[in-house]
Formats: sequence, structure tokens, C-alpha cells
Amino acid sequence: MAIDKVVSASITDSSVTSAKVASGVLQPNFRNIVINGDMQIAQRATSSSGITSDGYYTVDRFLVENGSFGTWTQTQEADAPTGQGYYNSLKMDCTTAQGSPSSNSILLVGQSIEGFMLQPIKQGTANAESTTLSFWHKHTKTGTNIVELLDADNSNAVSGSYTQSSSDTWEKATITFPANTSGTYGNDNARSLRIRFIMGAGTDYTSGTLATTWQTSITNANRYAGQVNNADSTSNNFIITGVQYEVGTAASDFEFLPVDVNLQRCQRYYFQYLSGTSKTVGIGSYWTTTSVDTIINFPVEMRSAPSVVATSGSSYYTVYVAGNGRAIDAGLSVNRTNLTSTQLYASTASDTAGRAGIWTSTNSSASIAFSSEL
Amino acid sequence: MKINTIKKNYFDGEFVSYQITYVDSNVEKSVPLDEANSDYQAIQQWISEGNTVIDNGE
Repeated sequence: MAIDKVVSASITDSSVTSAKVASGVLQPNFRNIVINGDMQIAQRATSSSGITSDGYYTVDRFLVENGSFGTWTQTQEADAPTGQGYYNSLKMDCTTAQGSPSSNSILLVGQSIEGFMLQPIKQGTANAESTTLSFWHKHTKTGTNIVELLDADNSNAVSGSYTQSSSDTWEKATITFPANTSGTYGNDNARSLRIRFIMGAGTDYTSGTLATTWQTSITNANRYAGQVNNADSTSNNFIITGVQYEVGTAASDFEFLPVDVNLQRCQRYYFQYLSGTSKTVGIGSYWTTTSVDTIINFPVEMRSAPSVVATSGSSYYTVYVAGNGRAIDAGLSVNRTNLTSTQLYASTASDTAGRAGIWTSTNSSASIAFSSEL
Repeated sequence: MKINTIKKNYFDGEFVSYQITYVDSNVEKSVPLDEANSDYQAIQQWISEGNTVIDNGE
């Protein structure tokens, strides 16, 4: 006799997973712990060349760590897997190869996550959850690559691997990491987890057996075993997009966010205030005869009191007081900075204390940003 | 970017932030005195490695 209905009792809770929910059916919002996983936001730049050291270069929230592992150009690319809803990707293009890295060198791109974002994982408790990382990759170099979860709070780590089967072809990877009942993530704004896409590693990190269970005492040799060297030729590209990290044992559909929401999530860590000439900084007030200041409010509450990151040079900025320009040649500084605003000030050409004017950028290389990156 | 100098910024006589300049760059950072700021943490690390912050006083 055919069953004509399914009742709740027929379905065990553990069998109902996000992966089994049809595309388009409502799924939990903000389940993707990674921010800007579709590489949509690039406040700093869309291209940066000559990368030989650690830093944030183009796509928001994605950090490069380069320990003497070649020279790279990073771009926000208009290249993505067809028909998946993505438009952008993060591309690392090798411009100077490193075929023989030193034994302790590492090359990677990754994202750091603050503890506030990780509490649903319930790590360090008996109810700790497995987690799943999914993403699209398109690498020139075929073979094995490693992704590592590095727990910065407890010095734990676990690794997973994926394979680029066909050169320069979009392929999807899904890696499920085991639950970790040891060591909680701090419920705070500090860096608790690093998600690291390894591009190359020296033998100190590759000579063992890949650690696919959590290491509470990290053995470096087991962290990146099997990793190919994506830096061994200037023909090599390493491209990723659609990065999603979520609670559970299966990957759900990528969670696309509206561009304004995506931008605001990025601005918790980095806010590009202006770039280029003829942009308004604010109402400049002469605190002294040679010092001008203004107040800048951030569009969202930032993770920590941010640094100002600004270019400076001859007449990069000008305060116009009663129609007369007062050049700012020196670097910009901050005072009374909190999570939502700061007092920006600089030395300037002389005027009367207490007067006010319009502070603007007057050089094409002018740039002011605020950073509270992890 | 490689750090060139770090100096203390004073405003109205009060130490309020650090100023970082970099080698071969026109970018500067001004870093508030917030222990959660990663640039602030990097400065403390830089100091612990034996480097000296410029302090021209108020």
C-alpha cells in the first residue's frame, strides 16, 4: 500500500539539513559567517600589483599573507562560474615565481573572523557543531590545495583539502570540518578564527600527514601536507569566489546579500571615506592658527576604534576659508576616536584660530579611509 | 608596507594617537589608543622587538 502522506514523526530532525532544502525555499538569514564571500565589495581598489608582503589589497575582508613567496597582482575579477549568480571573484596572478620556497614560508589568502560571529558553532561545549566551507575555485595549477581553520583563541587548527582537477576551470569544493568540543571562542570583537586558503607552503608545513581532526597541540608538518605550489610559474592564477562558511555538515545555497547590506558588513572593518580630488572632507575648524580639525561619523559601528589610513603630500588637501585656500601638506591624525566617529586633524597653512572653512581633497592621489581590520 | 617611523601624537597636551609612516610610501596611519585595534597591537609588537617610538612631547 502506497504511503500518501509524510507526517512529522516520519522525518527525524537530523535528516532535515540545509542541503536538502530546495533552492528558493527560505533558509536562515546570515548563515554565512564569511563576509563578502562573493567578492562583490572592493573599497580599496580593484587591482593591486607588486604584492610581496601581508596586507589587504582589493576585495574587502580578504587578507594576503605572503612570506617571501613570489610577487603577485591581486584583482577583483569579473570572472565567475556561469549560471550560479556570481559576478566577481578574487584573483591572485603570479608575476614573479618562487619555485623553491624556504622551509618556513607560507602563501595564502584568508579571512579573519571575530568571536562575536562564531558563537552559533558552540565550540568548546558538548553541543559543538560541525561546520562546512564551500566555495568555487579556478586555479591554473592542478592538484591538491589545503584550507585551514586556525583557532586564534585556543591555538587549535584543523585542515581540509580539495582538488583542482582541470586547469583554469571553475570547480566547486565543499569541506566539512568536525566539531571541536575543546576551547571556546571568546564572545568579543577580537580575532578568534582564521579561514586560510593555502596557496603554497614550505616543507616545515607539508612534510607530515594532513591533520583533518582538530589539533589541540599544533604540529606544523601536518598542517598543509599535500599542498601544491601555486607560485612555481608566472603563468599561474589562483581564483576563488562564493566562499561560504556555515554551521552544519552540508553546504547550503550561497547566501547572496543586497549590495548595500554587503557593503555595510564590510564597513564594520574598513570604510573608504574618499578617494581622488575635489571630494569633501568636512567643515574644517581652526583649533589653533596652524591646526585644522573636523568630525567624521562612520556609516556603521566599527569593530574597534579605527585607524585613519590616508595619503599625504603637497596640497593633497586644502581648507577654503572665506574663499582663500590653506594647503594641508602633512599627514592626517585622529583624536577622540570611538566606534562611531573621530576627530580628524592636520597641520595647515596659517589662519585665525576659531575660523572655519571647507576642507576638501585637492589631489588625485588623495585618499582617506578608516580601518579596524582584524 | 615596511614601517619607517612611529611617533606619538599630542593634542592639547594629551597623548592621543600614534602616527606611522612607511618606507617608500605616501600613506600614513594614525592609530588610536585602543587595545582592540590591530594597528595598535602591531605597534606594541614593534616596540617589544626593540624599536623606539619618537616622542617629541606636547
